[in-house]
Amino acid sequence: MTDRRRFLGATAGSFTGLALGDLLARDGVLGGKLHHPPRAKRVVQLFMAGAASHVDTFDHKPLLKKKDGEDWDPGETVELFQSTPGATFASPWEFRPYGECGKQLSDIVAPLGDVVDDIAFVHNMVGKTGVHSQGTLLQTTGFSFPGFPSAGSWVSYALGSENENLPSFVVLPDHRGFASNGAKNWATAFLPAQHQGTVIRPGSDSPIADLFPPESDYITPENDRSGLSTLTKLNQLHAASRPGDDRLAARIRSYELAASMQLSATDALDVSREPTYIRDLYGLAPEGPGVDDTGAINEKAESEFFGRKCLVARRLLERGVRFVQVWSGNDNGFPRRNWDSHGDVKRDHEPLALGMARGAAALIQDLKQRGMLDETLILWTTEFGRMPCSQGSKGRDHNPFVFTNWMCGGGIQGGTYGESDEWGFKPQDRARYTTNYDIHATILHQLGIDHEGLTVRNNGIDRRLTDVHGHVLREMLG
Amino acid sequence: MLGSRSIAILFSAMSLGPLFAAPDFEQDVAPILEAKCLFCHNAEQAKGDLILRSRSEALLHSDALVPGAANESGIITSILGPDPEMPKKADPLPPEEIEILRRWIDAGAEWPEVRKLVYNPTRDLNWWSLNPIQPGSAPDSTLLGESDNPVDAFLAARLEENGLTPMPEASPDTLLRRLSYDLTGLPPTPEEMDAFLADPDWDAAVDRLLSSPAFGEKFAQHWLDLVRYAETHGYDKDKPRPNAWPYRDYVIRSFNEDKPFARFVEEQVAGDQLFPGNPEGVVGLGFLAAGPWDFIGHWEVGEAKLDGRIAKHLDRDEMVQAVFSTFQSTTVGCAQCHHHKFDPIRMEDYYRLHAVFAAVDRADRVFSGLSPEDEKRKHELLTHINRLKSEQGQLDQERKRLLAARVSGIDRRIAELKEKHGSGLKPQYGFHSQISKHQDIAKWVQIDLGQRRGITEIRIMPAYDDYGGIGAGFGFPVRYRVEISDDPEFEQGVRLLHDATKKDQPSPGTRVQKMEGDGRPFRYLRVTATRLAERKKDYIFALGEIELLNEGGAENFALGASVTAKDSIESGVRWGKRNLVDGIFFRELSDEGALTELRTLQEKRIQIEKEMLPPETKRRLEEIGKEILALEKKRKAIPPGKQVYAAATQFARGGRFMATAGKPRPIHLLHRGDLRSPGERMTPGAPPLWESAPEVFFDNKEWNEAEARAELAHYLTHPENPLSWRTISNRLWQWTFGQPLVGTPNDFGRGGMSPSHPELLDFLAASLRDDPNQSLKSVLRLLFTSEAYRRASTHDEKNAAIDGSNRFLWRAHRRRLTAEEIRDSILLTSGKLNREMGGPSFQDFVIEKPQHSPHYQYHLHDPEDPETHRRTVYRFVVRSQPQPMLTTLDCADPAMSVPQRDESTTALQALTQWNHPFVEAMSRHLGQSMKSEGIEPGFRFLTGRPPTEAEKSILTEHLETEGPESLARVLFNLNAFVYVD
Repeated sequence: MTDRRRFLGATAGSFTGLALGDLLARDGVLGGKLHHPPRAKRVVQLFMAGAASHVDTFDHKPLLKKKDGEDWDPGETVELFQSTPGATFASPWEFRPYGECGKQLSDIVAPLGDVVDDIAFVHNMVGKTGVHSQGTLLQTTGFSFPGFPSAGSWVSYALGSENENLPSFVVLPDHRGFASNGAKNWATAFLPAQHQGTVIRPGSDSPIADLFPPESDYITPENDRSGLSTLTKLNQLHAASRPGDDRLAARIRSYELAASMQLSATDALDVSREPTYIRDLYGLAPEGPGVDDTGAINEKAESEFFGRKCLVARRLLERGVRFVQVWSGNDNGFPRRNWDSHGDVKRDHEPLALGMARGAAALIQDLKQRGMLDETLILWTTEFGRMPCSQGSKGRDHNPFVFTNWMCGGGIQGGTYGESDEWGFKPQDRARYTTNYDIHATILHQLGIDHEGLTVRNNGIDRRLTDVHGHVLREMLG
Repeated sequence: MLGSRSIAILFSAMSLGPLFAAPDFEQDVAPILEAKCLFCHNAEQAKGDLILRSRSEALLHSDALVPGAANESGIITSILGPDPEMPKKADPLPPEEIEILRRWIDAGAEWPEVRKLVYNPTRDLNWWSLNPIQPGSAPDSTLLGESDNPVDAFLAARLEENGLTPMPEASPDTLLRRLSYDLTGLPPTPEEMDAFLADPDWDAAVDRLLSSPAFGEKFAQHWLDLVRYAETHGYDKDKPRPNAWPYRDYVIRSFNEDKPFARFVEEQVAGDQLFPGNPEGVVGLGFLAAGPWDFIGHWEVGEAKLDGRIAKHLDRDEMVQAVFSTFQSTTVGCAQCHHHKFDPIRMEDYYRLHAVFAAVDRADRVFSGLSPEDEKRKHELLTHINRLKSEQGQLDQERKRLLAARVSGIDRRIAELKEKHGSGLKPQYGFHSQISKHQDIAKWVQIDLGQRRGITEIRIMPAYDDYGGIGAGFGFPVRYRVEISDDPEFEQGVRLLHDATKKDQPSPGTRVQKMEGDGRPFRYLRVTATRLAERKKDYIFALGEIELLNEGGAENFALGASVTAKDSIESGVRWGKRNLVDGIFFRELSDEGALTELRTLQEKRIQIEKEMLPPETKRRLEEIGKEILALEKKRKAIPPGKQVYAAATQFARGGRFMATAGKPRPIHLLHRGDLRSPGERMTPGAPPLWESAPEVFFDNKEWNEAEARAELAHYLTHPENPLSWRTISNRLWQWTFGQPLVGTPNDFGRGGMSPSHPELLDFLAASLRDDPNQSLKSVLRLLFTSEAYRRASTHDEKNAAIDGSNRFLWRAHRRRLTAEEIRDSILLTSGKLNREMGGPSFQDFVIEKPQHSPHYQYHLHDPEDPETHRRTVYRFVVRSQPQPMLTTLDCADPAMSVPQRDESTTALQALTQWNHPFVEAMSRHLGQSMKSEGIEPGFRFLTGRPPTEAEKSILTEHLETEGPESLARVLFNLNAFVYVD
């Protein structure tokens, strides 16, 4: 393994003191001219891959307990993704009230009880289909098929970066694999390439691809540094004989920025500098990211995995990253390491939810104590919900008809906005429901952006994150 | 239709009439309102709180319509002036239309209350791209020097008009490098450069490179970008398409052979119908299938459910849009929910296109290696099998529904037992023979007890492996026998203990096969498989464990005994002869009591299943099973042939994904694009984009799906189609000069841009259309031999002040190399590029977890693997996990049609080009060659020229202090390398 610290020292030496210009689209397309004064500056999207069950976490349905094991009859035909509807299935966990608002939370998300008064729950989200890939894309890009920019790319495109030494849109995937659609969930599609989400894998040997030289029998810190200096000299000669082309100078500068990124990223990812009480708050394991989950999915490992990503997210946000996407859960491989609990809700949801809740609660508390929560909007989402009836004996099938999102910070007022029906099967008021378009419109609004105004023409159509839909959820704005 | 001419006539006719006569509402006013206002001011949207559906609704708005006072009516005031407020994002109304509206309002705004308006765009074909192509001749210009190339004449005219002075010709070395990259994607070799400098015959150089095989490789990449080509499905799971590559080779071949353009188009839409018997006609259909496909939506959900029908609708939409953006530069997608706002495309047109593709899916299909009779027979068999499977599925569904109600208690208990006592799968699977291509081959495995022993019970445990979805009973022979002997060769004194060779045995699952000894001791026990178990189109023999127990079962003498076999796979920890006697085998439950209960429950379940089924259903299911088996046997006897992933109507059923056998699915116009709101049923057709274009393809309601595609193909290549020829000409221009004539290559509609040189575009379009060979190479030859192509890319203050973006081509564009060109050039100059053409793609990643959701792990790939040192166009393109280095360098995203690459400059790009393991490895190779040859050859190969004196001293100093590999790494990052010019 190449010694990164050696390289770091060397590159720092060679580039410190170089003036860094504002060449790489530091400003977004809005150039600081926002539609209205913003309430938030940054966004965190927490994504539960596989479809987290609302009725086992945030959406308390006492009727399920009352009718547990009885035939489930919602009074209409139900077409499910995999199965035919089984019996009514009570949540395996108890619900208890938390906070001043007395919001009922399940035991597996209890850590969020400490911050529940700051959270705005939306229990009447509806999706378009019960297919993972489509549901995931809908929540990440606003369209249920590939080819559209991620919400993070739109925000980066609109607002640019606050720190040119770090990417403006960062993705922290589950280290066990990408969720459905892989990199399409943070793709830039037809927006300029620099707005693509940059994958960072906290705790791994090489958290950012190609940030440092690979293992090599000839690259040394000395020739790495002098190579960059030789390159710059040659490129400057080349550019000098070709006046009038900014791109040549821009490319020279990109190597300087790359070196700065080595420093900034390394610093941002170094959680070892965090005091113990902070590491404990986020639920980091004493043995670090190598904590074992190969045998059985377990709370300790999930807390470490999700908590570390939340902590790194905070460090990135502090340094001016605009949009951070944090993933819990991977693809549908075996053994299951995501929220798609067709077979066994208890086995999978318990460790996943406890780990998620601990990390998310820590992030909210930590941002709050640093005075950053007012300017940072957190969105918790998933592709759809899960059914109130059982699949097999212990699982739940997909429910795209209703599910839960929640938001926190960034000028959002805590409370419950929109309810599901008594089963958690469909919206309580079938005619009034909330969509991903409304959520995205609200996020853009808090950032000072008119969601109908942020458009890019692609193949003849003015595209936007909210397609031709979306209403700002004004009642939850503080 | 209201062309400009007819409007002029209308206007003059009106002005002859009585000056104050009010326009007729129905004839004059309603068409304007319906075409220009109702898109937004309808009852649903009511933009600005104005509804123009009926008079009374219009009057609800405070000041939009003031009868008798046009000047106070918002309808008029908002459309006046050079930059009117209305209509939004569309051209202002022409004065004659404003006049009609004004006089109508002034006269009292007569509007019968029963008359309700709807959005109704006119079929207005008066737009540059929809006008007939005008094959004009080249203009004259004083700027035109010696060139007799019409391209130069067209360009010179615009340069002159704009007061621009073209740049002089670039130097020969610059020119050859530019030409080589543009035509082949590779730099000229030093030898080619020397030859050209000695004899700079430009036309000969253009011809040489146009006929080089690398030309097809370079131009195919342009085309593959456009047609969203990749070799995995995308979406969830992102499974590979092992037979996608023949289409990629087809594109390369088509460019190299200079296939007539109409033929190229027709093969890609309806080649099977139009060129029967010709493999190219089938492989070309890879175009329709090249885009993403939702495996889960089709395979697991299926069209019996709404979600499955939505997936199928989106899939068809993807095909329709691909055809129209690729061949027509037209966006039809918006007409899914409403008539196109700008272009003459109505919802009906859009759903007629769906009807064209109503019977096709994306699947593997045979393109050669099969006789027409066999192919026909295979189709018939497949149709028959699919029909039976469909019936089987329905009966089975019914069976499952009945069963679910009666066995849920049993299932819950089984699940509990498994959770409590499940021991799971340990890695030491057992014994596994070599893989055989044939089933009826005898293979044996035998145990040597070391001495003769009295054995009372023999227990054979089947193996368990999820490979191929088999699981329990993996590799357990279909026919076999068990023998004992004291002769290791089993020639003498052989005693048969168990004979299962007479008929096929059902898979035992995880059940232990028990047999008793014959009371006499023996030393050797042999299990001989006489009919092997099927794995995945091949055959094997595998067992999990053998136990040989003494009286009472107290001791297992086989444990740790020596094992021999006819052949065996000894692979890692899983399979090996020793694993047959290691005491480790798969068992569902570790507790014997629980296992007994489990068996009882399972048997009970089987019993219930048996009793529950009505006898006729049971008989029918058995019949179907037998029939399918017989048909499958016949189908398998037909050779497989070569396959391509393409549009198909015949393929073996997989999951719930079923072929239509050519029977079109019913297509309805969908209100708001919603499958739950179907309207009128649609038959095939296309938007009438020119005067004589057909709107519907067939008069009757029954049609042949392949004929519908053939009609569409003819529509696309019709000589009067104004778009096809302009579209491809614009692309050829872009692929030559780096910038298209129309800045929006996939959209020539009113939402797109106008051509910088409309006459030139029409000249090229007409030349290609009217050329009997419809040769793309001829057009390219014309472009590449122009003076304009050879201009220097140097900056000029005076010209730049007039035309900074170089729209009029006063200089050449300096372009950056594409991701593929960078990778290919690095390989070439390191001496590593393997020029082998065609065939299956190389994979520069390692696939982990292939069974379910493959993980494509690029970081595990060894950059020194020579298999991967081929040109990048032969790369296995993964849709949802794109190659990180190439993606950072702006290669195309196969989720969508990419007509033009981005050219971004980012810090991440610098990191990749400086630190990627591929660059590190290739730097070592280029460095090696610099050790013997010095700096200059490598530098010259990469940049097309020798280093200047100043460069030489910097290079030499670095070489001397840091070594040649480090210097090579610098060279691969030079701007002089990365930019053409």
